[in-house]
Amino acid sequence: MKKPPNPHPPRWADRLLEWFCAPHLLEEIQGDLYERFQRQVTLFGERSARQQYTLAVLSFIRPFALKRHPNPYPNTLSTRLVMISNYFKIAWRNLIRNKVSSLINLTGLTLGISACLVIGVITHFELSYDRFHPDSERIYRVIGTAKFNKTADAQAIGFVPRAVPQALRNEVSGFEVVASFHNMESGVIIPNGSKDPKVFKGRDMDIEPAQIVLADPAYFEIFQYKWLAGNPQTALTDPFQVVISERKARLYFGALPLSSILGKEIIYRDSIRTTVSGIVADWKQNSDFTFTDFISSATIRASFLKREINLEEWTDIWSGSQTFVKLAKGNTREKAIAQLVTFGKKHFGPNRGTGEFKFRPSLQPLSDLHFNEVYQDNYSRKASLPTLYGLIGIALFILLIAAINFINLSTAQSVRRSREVGVRKALGSNRGNLIGQFMSETLILTLCSMVIALGMAKPLLHAFRSFIPAGVQFSFFNPGILLFLLVITLVTVFLAGFYPSVVLSAFRPALALKGASATSGQQKGYLRKGLIVFQFTISLLFIIATLIVGRQLSFIRNKDLGFSSDAVVTISTLRDGKSAILAQKIRQIAGIKHVSMQWSAPLSDWYMLSMLTYEGENKIDLEVSAKVGDEHFIPLYQFNLLAGRNLEHSDTLKELVVNATLVKKLGFKTNAAALGKLVMLNNRKYPIVGVIGDFHENSLHALIKPTVIAYIPDMAKDLAVKLPVKGKSISDLSPILAKLQKSWHAVYPTEPFVYSFLDDSIQKLYSREQKTAQLVNTASAIAILISCLGLLGLATFTAEQRTKEIGVRKVLGASISSIIALLSKDFLILVLIALCIASPIAWWAMSKWLTGFAYHVNLEWWVFVLAGLMAIGVALLTVSYHSIKAALRNPTESLKSE
Amino acid sequence: MRRYYLGEFEEIVLLTVAVLGTGAYGVSITNELDQQSGRSVSLSAVHAALHRLEEKGMLSSYLGDATNERGGRRKRLFSVTALGSRTLNEIRTVRESLWNAIPPNSLPAIAIS
Repeated sequence: MKKPPNPHPPRWADRLLEWFCAPHLLEEIQGDLYERFQRQVTLFGERSARQQYTLAVLSFIRPFALKRHPNPYPNTLSTRLVMISNYFKIAWRNLIRNKVSSLINLTGLTLGISACLVIGVITHFELSYDRFHPDSERIYRVIGTAKFNKTADAQAIGFVPRAVPQALRNEVSGFEVVASFHNMESGVIIPNGSKDPKVFKGRDMDIEPAQIVLADPAYFEIFQYKWLAGNPQTALTDPFQVVISERKARLYFGALPLSSILGKEIIYRDSIRTTVSGIVADWKQNSDFTFTDFISSATIRASFLKREINLEEWTDIWSGSQTFVKLAKGNTREKAIAQLVTFGKKHFGPNRGTGEFKFRPSLQPLSDLHFNEVYQDNYSRKASLPTLYGLIGIALFILLIAAINFINLSTAQSVRRSREVGVRKALGSNRGNLIGQFMSETLILTLCSMVIALGMAKPLLHAFRSFIPAGVQFSFFNPGILLFLLVITLVTVFLAGFYPSVVLSAFRPALALKGASATSGQQKGYLRKGLIVFQFTISLLFIIATLIVGRQLSFIRNKDLGFSSDAVVTISTLRDGKSAILAQKIRQIAGIKHVSMQWSAPLSDWYMLSMLTYEGENKIDLEVSAKVGDEHFIPLYQFNLLAGRNLEHSDTLKELVVNATLVKKLGFKTNAAALGKLVMLNNRKYPIVGVIGDFHENSLHALIKPTVIAYIPDMAKDLAVKLPVKGKSISDLSPILAKLQKSWHAVYPTEPFVYSFLDDSIQKLYSREQKTAQLVNTASAIAILISCLGLLGLATFTAEQRTKEIGVRKVLGASISSIIALLSKDFLILVLIALCIASPIAWWAMSKWLTGFAYHVNLEWWVFVLAGLMAIGVALLTVSYHSIKAALRNPTESLKSE
Repeated sequence: MRRYYLGEFEEIVLLTVAVLGTGAYGVSITNELDQQSGRSVSLSAVHAALHRLEEKGMLSSYLGDATNERGGRRKRLFSVTALGSRTLNEIRTVRESLWNAIPPNSLPAIAIS
């Protein structure tokens, strides 16, 4: 029979009492309260007794009960210092004694902190762009969506038609300043009296940021510069004025005093003669506005630039022409956008003189400029926020895995230290002291890791420079970085040290000194296992991602593009009449079979879309991609001709070759059926003379479009050359390239010979994917390394713990293999559980990534199995060393020692 | 002569400790006070008074046995010290001399039940 439970006073009231009551009074007071409570239960029943008890407890909140006895052994500063130095001494001895686990922890934490540090530096760098402008929250770029004709899709555009800024100034009231500027590329000539002028080449677009702009005077009202010379009010008001930055002033004019540089002449584009009217200091902070030469925008109307930059143009948009506004004080973004929409409706639409072109203006905050890839321009370097967040996530996960190692190893070893804890407690340590002690051990280890990580930061930044943006600097004395390090250290110490120190300090001294296992075994085992599962889940996620990204990349590399890009060199000409002569000259080089005049290679990031109309049974309008090339285009790229014939030599556009997709879209049953049919392109009819197999004209992110190949002499000005070589060994290539260069100089004596291999250009289209692959590979390598280190530590420990058990088993006849199985089994189960958790998450994440490609590999089950096998293999390798060692040990040895 | 001031409640608690002899501790004192004076006394007030009296040196105490109904906790048993005894006596002497000094019939007559 079950006994009715003893009535108990309310637990929270008891807790409260225990908390506020002075320890030396607690026993008698609580005892009295209990006695009263029991009596009241018999007198008035439990309910009333509990209420009375609570009231009684509350009434004890009075001074005499709150006042503590003074501590007879006060904790003075000197004793505290002694204890702290003792903590460090003990911590140091412990680290030295457990060399393996200290080393594992040190490695793990160092890797984790390094990852955090490097990624922190990158993130800090990217987030610092253009944060320093005064009133930056009021600065916006005018952007919008454009529709070029009725059927076209609306496109997000980072710029506006060139007539818009002036109209905005006149018609819209909500802006304090409207400033536009136009990017310009040009060499620079500095006349030098009677001597030869100094000549500076135009920038290298791949490396150097944009430098030259034609800017409104208002530009300097929105973006504040420090003026070193010249008058900001008048510096850009007249044509042919230029403001340069201090760095450029030094470059152009050497050490001349700034004031005497004013009035000097700088020539752009060979004939735009400008006068220096101001010099501004370069910004020291990170900015996308990298401009150094500000030519007055009045120059446009006063020079031949007016043909290139039409400031009255409403119907087209150019990425080089940018408009920024500063909202008037009190105006909000929403109100300003509403004003812009009204403005847009007034100027664009039917019967407004803009034809089918439609534009809907809007605003983009300055802080968005560096991160939003939708709105393109000619100067800003975009950083992808998702990538940054991904990086941060990876860094935190790696740090977390390292912290888990620490937790696992220290709790596993806690039994060893139970005596120490027992003695300390018996001698009067309280829990707080012990927690402090164990935390200080963590602190020592973390500080060591941090110092190593600091030392490694520079080499690491160098090693990973391919996916680190240029300009990221690491300096020890940056207060931001120091603060960040402090935070990382504290977080790590807390993450790694808190749980073990709580566990260790909770030992009951009597039990610990008796030598009994002072822990309540079971529960802690689960926590440890849970943490291992977590570690391996993350590692497996990284492994699966590595496998799938790798597979997709090799799929991209090996995918049949539908044409041959092997040994094809493309040469950009000046796009003038001489390119045909160059083609003729190159054809004469021995061994070169094909030279094609083309507009762009079949696969490149240049493309041209046109409307094609076919009037068969039904009229079909089709948006097609157009490739321009002469009769050598198809044989050179070895397109697969399915029906009909190649283009014939001609001086005008007279016939088309189309791809199979286009034939299908037009509804023909067979490829041959399309031959001879007339289709309308740009309001003229042309016959289809050939059909080629589909080919990729874009990266595999995009679907294959219906495509026509046509020869348009005005556009086909660049060259493609098929070299008579296999592969790309230098010895094969250099003679033939030298001959190409010779032909080039025969035609263009003064221009540099610029060529590129089509293979390389195609690879460049996938540079982001390659960076992703690199990143995932590195992350998974680090994650696996740290997890395995942790596993190694635990395996060492378990094998040691179970020495006796193994000895007994062996004496009783267990085989070596059964013992190895016994020791490895536990870990393997954990890895399997991790695989079960990781697979669905990885499946979800990777299928999201793959949907970005129109052509991609399938997620196959064996990838997951392979990842699992790899993880199990690595785990087994790690564990087996110690289990085999334990299993092979002579039982007499292990049993004899006591 | 030094005087020892005691509050009225303290005096009653001190007297009750004397009444209870060897069995004087928080609960028993409170119960006794309840019965003798008929006023409802809170346990915490009694503890506070005992604490004060011990600080003043009129009570001494030691920890007694644990009992089950106290959840295994010991009780603190109090006894009156010589100083306590002397103070009580002094108070009593003062009171009695005052009583004796009251002229007959100067107090309104009441019925003593």
